[in-house]
Amino acid sequence: MIEASSLSKRYGAFRALDKVSFEVHRGEVVGFLGPNGAGKSTTMRILTCFISASGGTARVHGHDVFDQPLEVRKKIGYLPQRASLYGEMSVWEYLSFVADMRGLDHGVFKKRMRDIVEVCGIGQVLGKDIRTLSHGFRQRVGLGQALVHNPPILILDEPTSDLDPNEKAEVIKYIKEIGKERTILLSTHNLAEVEAACPRAIIVSKGRVVADGPLDEIRTKSGRVRYVVTVDEQRTFDGGVELRKGSKKAAPTAQEVQDALSALSGVSHFKELPTDDRAHSFEFLGAPGTDARHDIFQLCVQKGWYMLELRREARSLEDVFKALTKGDERLDRGRKVVVEDDEDEAEEDAAEDEADDEEAEDEEGDEGEEDGADDQGEEEAEDKAKAGDKSPSGKKD
Amino acid sequence: MRIIWNIAKREFKANFNSPLAYVVICLSMVLLGIFFFTVWGGGFWQADRATLAQMFLWAPRGLAMVVVPVTTMRLLAEEKRSGTLEMLITLPVRDHEVILGKFLGAWALVLVLVASTALYPIMMFWKPWNLGALDTGPVFSGYLGIILFTGAAVAIGLLISALTESQVIAFFVTWVVLLALTFLGFGIDQVGNPMTRTVLSYVSFDARLAPFARGMINTRDIVFFVSVTFGCLMGSFWALERRKWA
Repeated sequence: MIEASSLSKRYGAFRALDKVSFEVHRGEVVGFLGPNGAGKSTTMRILTCFISASGGTARVHGHDVFDQPLEVRKKIGYLPQRASLYGEMSVWEYLSFVADMRGLDHGVFKKRMRDIVEVCGIGQVLGKDIRTLSHGFRQRVGLGQALVHNPPILILDEPTSDLDPNEKAEVIKYIKEIGKERTILLSTHNLAEVEAACPRAIIVSKGRVVADGPLDEIRTKSGRVRYVVTVDEQRTFDGGVELRKGSKKAAPTAQEVQDALSALSGVSHFKELPTDDRAHSFEFLGAPGTDARHDIFQLCVQKGWYMLELRREARSLEDVFKALTKGDERLDRGRKVVVEDDEDEAEEDAAEDEADDEEAEDEEGDEGEEDGADDQGEEEAEDKAKAGDKSPSGKKD
Repeated sequence: MRIIWNIAKREFKANFNSPLAYVVICLSMVLLGIFFFTVWGGGFWQADRATLAQMFLWAPRGLAMVVVPVTTMRLLAEEKRSGTLEMLITLPVRDHEVILGKFLGAWALVLVLVASTALYPIMMFWKPWNLGALDTGPVFSGYLGIILFTGAAVAIGLLISALTESQVIAFFVTWVVLLALTFLGFGIDQVGNPMTRTVLSYVSFDARLAPFARGMINTRDIVFFVSVTFGCLMGSFWALERRKWA
């Protein structure tokens, strides 16, 4: 339904989009995530034919956005960021105006309005001037105008920005409701909304797609798994192997618990969690592709510790998002600008490779010193590489 | 055509949803009355003839200095600033339909005001007062001149509104441009250099309108106003298209 292929957009020397490619299939609700300035709105504006791309192609419902903009616009319902509506018109007049512009017959419009009023919850404000409405209601009216012609595709750009939590929850509820029978591309930087409404997400950062897939896959692709372990800090039990051996073991201290857990293979990033109970609670990350729960359980039995909680979960979407988009706030588009020609690009890449090889040779002797200098940075880079295997850089071109 | 009509209708009606249109129309009528009956160059009574030449002299000046800048300042500038343009353009519309719709909506409002000046000939030379036999030829040609002039002036205002996001800037730039074009012909006879005189009379709105007020319909004047209108509409279209490639 929506296909973007190597979309690029430059504003002077600034690259807003850098070869963005993705597809959204029929009936999918896809979250389009990214920090402010990552290129979400630019992508949506290209898809809705409001602006043109500097490079690449895009098709919506089989129509090319550059060659058939009218056909594309007929098939989409679009809600731009901060739905700007004609304030002097009443809600009914405005929706009627949009219906007229879309060539809807008056009878069809009235019939559609019944659904829209119900889905968007605007029945009580139909006769009111838009300028007198709250942000929440304006957003609903904006959603209503996007739905007025019953489009197969909806493109919603931050539909919940500026809304209070109750209004946000309602809009997300509407999106879920209408998403049952439509293709929806939902742009937001609110991850909870994506988790609530979208089975799949595309994450963009610095104008590039850095992750694309089902939410679980994105979380898993980040590699690390988070564990939470809580043990009683006052009591031990008799069955503990060490106690059976005769060693009199007092209740464990936090340090002992941490030392014991950190001795397990592949775990890292320990953090003690606050707890109301008389217990020690730790959070840490496990190695990718492993399950440390058996070892943790065995350890507690061995030590005679009462395990009050053991939880294993993929990293939250928020963690993944942070890892993938870290540094984006600087809007660093430090990449070389204006590479129009593929041949030029290939030559440039080759030149860069050569330079890298030379550099590597020069640095061979010093490698030891630099190893492990920045574990965390490497980890993030690794995370990015894993999760971002659909990014242009990660693609096998 | 349906799209252009819808946009024009919305634009026209939007003016009457605020006091602005009412204030502008009332104020313009009052000012026109003052200038028509009293001020410089001798008012209607001093002319001692059944003529509306005075009205056709002052009406375009008032339209250029007040009505057109106020009417056109928000056409695209406000839409761009508030973001409603994005909403409008992502409907199935072509850019030229937006431009034409906006132009016709604003022009229609100005023409309503122009039409309201028809009260002068009707009331003064027909009912309730019959002040004399009015030569209707110059009246019709005068109105034709004003209609063509307002078309060109609105198109200029639309172009300027398409080039900025600020209503205030759009207002002042339109005001200055129309003021300059209108009064370029002021005292044109005193200009010594014939070349300069020719150029000034060619671009001056006042000079172009003078024959219409005298009952002369000159094809060159019609072509001039239509050309300015068409050129500015094309310019507005390009200014709107510019967003795609900015």
